Amino acid sequence: MYRNKKTGIIGIIITIIILILVVILSNIDIKNMSYIENAFNSLVMPIQNGLTYLKNKVEGNNSFFDDISNLQKENEELKTKNSQLEQSLRELEILKAENETLKEYVNLKDKYNEYETIPAYVINKDITNYNNTIVINIGEKDGVKPNMTVIADQGLVGHVISTTQTTAKVQTIIDTASSVSATMSTSDEAIIVTGTLEKASTLKATYIPTEAKVLENDKVETSGIGGIYPKGITIGTIKEIVDTKNITDRYAYVETAVDFKKIETVLVIIE
Amino acid sequence: MRGGESLKKFLTIICLILTFFVIYFLQANFFTWFTISGVMPNLFIVLVLFIGLFIGRKLGFVFGLIFGIYLDLMLGKAVGISGIMLGLVGLIGEYLDKNFSKDSRVTIILMVIGSTAFYEIGSYLFQVIRWGALIEILPFLKILALEIIFNIALVIILYPIIQRVGNYVENLFKKKEVLTRYF
Repeated sequence: MYRNKKTGIIGIIITIIILILVVILSNIDIKNMSYIENAFNSLVMPIQNGLTYLKNKVEGNNSFFDDISNLQKENEELKTKNSQLEQSLRELEILKAENETLKEYVNLKDKYNEYETIPAYVINKDITNYNNTIVINIGEKDGVKPNMTVIADQGLVGHVISTTQTTAKVQTIIDTASSVSATMSTSDEAIIVTGTLEKASTLKATYIPTEAKVLENDKVETSGIGGIYPKGITIGTIKEIVDTKNITDRYAYVETAVDFKKIETVLVIIE
Repeated sequence: MRGGESLKKFLTIICLILTFFVIYFLQANFFTWFTISGVMPNLFIVLVLFIGLFIGRKLGFVFGLIFGIYLDLMLGKAVGISGIMLGLVGLIGEYLDKNFSKDSRVTIILMVIGSTAFYEIGSYLFQVIRWGALIEILPFLKILALEIIFNIALVIILYPIIQRVGNYVENLFKKKEVLTRYF
């Protein structure tokens, strides 16, 4: 009985460790490995510091410990100063964050000044792996209605699918059920971009006209066809073109201009 | 005596509703960054399966339906599909309880695999049929596999709590009494 209980606890601990490792490793940015360097440093540095201290002591360079009471006093003063500085830093951080949000709103407003818009915060994001809807903090009482277009600083976010008095639900363009009529900068003919499960910030461009010359890094914008999205709003850029045996079936991957993982502020186009 | 039992049942139901909200906030905050390759677990399935398994009496279906409808209202594109699918997971829980032992970690894990696959495949098929979503079998299977692995890991970690709380609510709702006169 005791053994079983013990084995069970060990199993749980091992599972927790494995789960944390899997989560960390699966989300790792290979380019950013500086923390490994830090980890190695933290292993080596205490020994290195100890050896340096011993070396200094041997050389007679141990004058730090001559006046301990002075050092303690100095330490207390520094601690007080430090806490004051930390307080100021916190205040500055709050001001900085407020400033960033206001700047974002101003930038958004300037960029899309031809439309009448209302700014909003993203207050909730979808909690499943297959849908991509967001909830914003403005609703019917602010004049928001279904099918209104939602944009961010970088480009198109999606459209409103339902509203309450104080909130609105937005279907983003990366949702697998989303289809947007678009045009490429090299061709005036319409293509369809749809959300895909493959990558969070990638759309699939289909129905590419056979005569259209598709190039990587081509800009993709809304075509204005379909009745929801106005013409000329940036969707993203073409990242990869996939040629098939039948040219009518070829498709391309579009990287969205908006980073949906970090999206916090949006504008709803009222008119 | 009976009044005390009803109060206990009422408090258990309140606790289950509170657990749902705890899971909701975990899914909306913690599991948006604590992911495996961007894939988050689905603890709602585990909760509803647990209710179906240990409480039964169609409560799994009712709770699944209500929780699902709430999720649809909060974030879904249409009201109903999560409700129906979670309700069915609750019913499956009750069916599994009648046919399999839930005293083993392995059977619980197999039940979680089955119900996660059932829920996600059903929801995805609805997405494809109702909203015309692209059929992407390989990416879907990849996400499903990671989600199942995540759910299994969490069930292994939470198994002692599931077992203890499960036995308590099972005794309370199902009244598994030993008929001594037959022995």
